[in-house]
Amino acid sequence: MKDVHMPNDVELITIPGNWNFDYRYFAGETASRFFAELKNSRRIMGTRCGKCRRLLVPARTFCEACYVETVSWEPVGEEGTLEVFTIVAAAFPGMPPPPFVIGYVTLDGADTSIANFIKGVDLSDIHAAGKSLLSRPRVRTVFSAEVQGRITDFHFELI
Amino acid sequence: MSRRAAVVGVGQTQYRRRHSGRNTAELVREAVTAALTDAQMDLDAIGLVVGGVAPDALAGIDHVDMGSIARPGIPYFRVNTGGATGSSAFLAGLTWIAAGRCDAVLVVAVERMGHAVTAPKVFNSIFDPIYERDISLSTLSMVALRATMMIQKYGYTLEQWAHLAARNSELSLLNDTLESPRRFSAGDVLSSGVISWPIHKLEIGPVSEGACAMVIAAENRVGSRPAAWIRGASGLSDTYEMGSRISRAEGALVDVVTLRRCAAQAYRDAGVVDPAKEVDMVEIHAACASSESMGYAPLGICAPADGPRFLDSIVDGTARIAVNPSAGAQAANPVSATAMIRIAECALQIRGRAGRRQVDGIRLAVATGQGGATQFSTAVVLGAEPS
Repeated sequence: MKDVHMPNDVELITIPGNWNFDYRYFAGETASRFFAELKNSRRIMGTRCGKCRRLLVPARTFCEACYVETVSWEPVGEEGTLEVFTIVAAAFPGMPPPPFVIGYVTLDGADTSIANFIKGVDLSDIHAAGKSLLSRPRVRTVFSAEVQGRITDFHFELI
Repeated sequence: MSRRAAVVGVGQTQYRRRHSGRNTAELVREAVTAALTDAQMDLDAIGLVVGGVAPDALAGIDHVDMGSIARPGIPYFRVNTGGATGSSAFLAGLTWIAAGRCDAVLVVAVERMGHAVTAPKVFNSIFDPIYERDISLSTLSMVALRATMMIQKYGYTLEQWAHLAARNSELSLLNDTLESPRRFSAGDVLSSGVISWPIHKLEIGPVSEGACAMVIAAENRVGSRPAAWIRGASGLSDTYEMGSRISRAEGALVDVVTLRRCAAQAYRDAGVVDPAKEVDMVEIHAACASSESMGYAPLGICAPADGPRFLDSIVDGTARIAVNPSAGAQAANPVSATAMIRIAECALQIRGRAGRRQVDGIRLAVATGQGGATQFSTAVVLGAEPS
């Protein structure tokens, strides 16, 4: 049988697509209570593990290390230490315009660190800003004027 | 390990930003066919296929492995541990051989991230939507957060990482699995712009597509085939919560406790007492220069405080151990496959089949995998001898 004649070259086809599903994430009782405290009392709460005695912040239903339920709710200090950070200096889709700083802060009294934006840093020189933040500086919790019960209700600022 | 086993076949596609000339199943078949040819085996000899695919959203096809990896008539399951997917799939395949359920396993990992028009958005979606996703975390900022701690704790400098990235770019020219290796200097890295301080653009592995396949055989099926014997293989999980791992009694975030522990287990199984003296080669899975240096001490090839000095010895060529002779994931980082490629590269070196990147005298090699928010670690020790 003779081959059907076809051109040697073929234009490669790319088929457009998207994956824009909508979701509703169930925060559960413990996180809901943590967010309610942010919104209603403007304070950050942790939960304590009865076994290892760590105060977990943000609040958790159970201690991930001991795998036992936490036993009590306790507020933490408004100030803390910036443990690790990065200065995001390039634009990414769906993210705030650069530059911005994010980091993990251990609030006074807490045994774990919480992630959030670090604001009030002079970012006119990224390298100078980066070096200045390496000293694990002290930071203060600052609440937004409008709170809605989300992790973004607060951020940290250098003291 | 209850039965001795070896890697007897390796197959890789080229790694490039986009494989627009092949669909996913075609990409997989290319790597599988090459691995079976290398192993001198037919698909009929395979008792299990393990697929490795990380987040589906990178490919934009849910369960992309269903139509691309699973084969009719052969048991199949899929593994996903993020960046450690490829090495986790390898470990999963090995369990079937160790348990005596079959004598030959095909492990395959494929990355299709070229489909993703906005890959960083997909990487943001891996984070906890309740407490963390709103903070604009990304896989890259995870690397950067650790890098700031490595500067604080061990005194690494941005210049050192730039030199390491340049050194790896030089090696990438010898790696024939890379379609378009990029060579650059430390100065080029430092002037390439900061993406997420302290990480510069040029020290980050590129978006990469491709597939890697390996054939693992039980001792009775190895025969005269060139073999890289699996002397030790271990994987370990940690908590997802990064805020709980910053500073713990067992080690700080950048001490990668999981990697240290699974490497120690793999060395015990392999009979390795002093890795710094006995290991000939390491392939560290790290998409950035800073994360590569985070792997040295946990692997026992230098003391934690000596990390920066050990990095310098790699850059100036005086290190005794061959570190990432493939150029590592900084040259190509197909997320789902990248940790399997590290094992494949060790196997190729031990079997003397690494082409232009072959290093002489590699008899004992270690490959690592890191995945999730650096919560999954794997370590695999391969040797030229079965024990």
